[in-house]
Amino acid sequence: MTASTINNRDDLISYLHVAMALEHATIPPYLTAYYSIHSTTNSDAAHIIRVVAVEEMLHLTLVANVLNAIGGKPDLTRPGFVPSYPAYLPDGENDFTVDLRPLSPEAVETFCKIERPGQAPSADARLLRTADSGSPVLAFSPTAEGMRFYSIGEFYAEILEGLEKVAADDPKLFSGDPALQVGPEYFYSGGGAVIVVSDLDSACRALRFIAAQGEGLDSGIYDADGELAHYYRFRQLQLGRYYQVGDDPDAPSGPPLSVAWDDVYQVKVSARLADYPAGSELAGVVRDFNAAYGAFLALLTRAFNGQPGLLQDAVCDMFRLRDGFNRLVRNPLPGSDGLHAAPTFEIPAVFGPDPETAPAAGQSAQGVTR
Amino acid sequence: MTAPSFEDFLSLSVDLTAFEETVLLGTGLARPYLAKVRAACGDEVVTALLDAHRASRADAAVDAGGHDRALPDRALLDRALLDRALLDRALRHQIFSDDRLGPVARNVIKLWYAGMWFALPPEWTDCYGAQAAGETSTVTAASYQEGLLWRAIGANPPGAKAPGYGSWAQPPRIEDRYLNGATK
Repeated sequence: MTASTINNRDDLISYLHVAMALEHATIPPYLTAYYSIHSTTNSDAAHIIRVVAVEEMLHLTLVANVLNAIGGKPDLTRPGFVPSYPAYLPDGENDFTVDLRPLSPEAVETFCKIERPGQAPSADARLLRTADSGSPVLAFSPTAEGMRFYSIGEFYAEILEGLEKVAADDPKLFSGDPALQVGPEYFYSGGGAVIVVSDLDSACRALRFIAAQGEGLDSGIYDADGELAHYYRFRQLQLGRYYQVGDDPDAPSGPPLSVAWDDVYQVKVSARLADYPAGSELAGVVRDFNAAYGAFLALLTRAFNGQPGLLQDAVCDMFRLRDGFNRLVRNPLPGSDGLHAAPTFEIPAVFGPDPETAPAAGQSAQGVTR
Repeated sequence: MTAPSFEDFLSLSVDLTAFEETVLLGTGLARPYLAKVRAACGDEVVTALLDAHRASRADAAVDAGGHDRALPDRALLDRALLDRALLDRALRHQIFSDDRLGPVARNVIKLWYAGMWFALPPEWTDCYGAQAAGETSTVTAASYQEGLLWRAIGANPPGAKAPGYGSWAQPPRIEDRYLNGATK
């Protein structure tokens, strides 16, 4: 087996920063597919994508809790935290890229790759050498140069082993401020219960929960709570049928499910600001959305650094972002043969973790006070 | 007679509602609304309304720029600087004070703001004819949610487009350009 790439607290902290970026990196692609769906159509597909996206938000929060518990400092505003799409996943898998796409067979194919079962063919195959293709790889093993992971599941398996090892050597590993933890009083209805992390046991539970909810590492189609893993949720869209308990992974036997691939706004794949006519109203709206998203990430950063109550405000911001997303996808993108607009998630660098100076999330409008 | 153009209807709607084109397209309802107006009033009236709107814009552009009085095409109009006060006066002269076009234009405003088509007044239908689709009606299930009135007052449509628990305790968010000089 390959030697561990995690030897001390600093290694763990850098891994957990990558894990936060990884959990977040999946959210814009899921939201783009979700909001591309014409309202009142595609309820099966919309529900499946929505459930997964919401669970990714829980995972982001769980990783922040683990990071805080060992004295790290979650930061969703650091440059590169939001990848430039199309992007490789930050855990290092490099056989596919992730695009911002409308709901389509290609989108679902990518989602399955993101969430694919994580077990490497053998224990020493967890870490692979990154291909020397010259393509940009956002991050991989943050401590072992040139190494990447077989899957998200193996990435978390590495963190879990590292955590146990470092905790055994360092009895003071879990000395983070308990006040920084996001507890169930601040985060609920988010695809599972949030876990407050204070020791090795709770940290491992949080990370195992993420891995199991994602691709069902070691636990088959359903996790311990009887919940379908993300990979299999998406497989249902490919196979046209729901799973039920006892099913073979390749042959769901539940009710049939239909996807109306045409009832979708055909947004331009991984559009960039440069695709929008310079100086146009539409370019301004996209820029405003990106800025609002940046302000939203700055708000989350404050929430994860001692003000968990701000997560309540973040919920309202998410609804405003939803409305902004919907407005954009209904606008045709000039000069693109009938394709539609969508957020580009190019986050301006001006948002430090102090959003006092940033516009309110959701839109550029400000509250009216008299 | 050519069918009323979607672009012209959009341009009219921008001037009638004072909302930007991206906001109007962002409702996803611009095409259904044009279809509704055509069905409710007939193409002849809609075409006359769009012509009057173009003429109003031309007046505002020509008078502001001192160009020749020939009716510029739409592309020229889009580039031309419009004097908003002149446009406002031209719209009142050519559309709102017109017995045939005024009530229809007012209905288009109500359509965008409330998401509903309101029946034209009986004196209008007596003169210009009633269409079967002219009765008061909702356009689609989405049109209530997308009514511009909710954006105009910075609120969410009650019972729809949930804004998040407790958000009602926050002041409404209204874009600067719609505040008309109100202090913040």
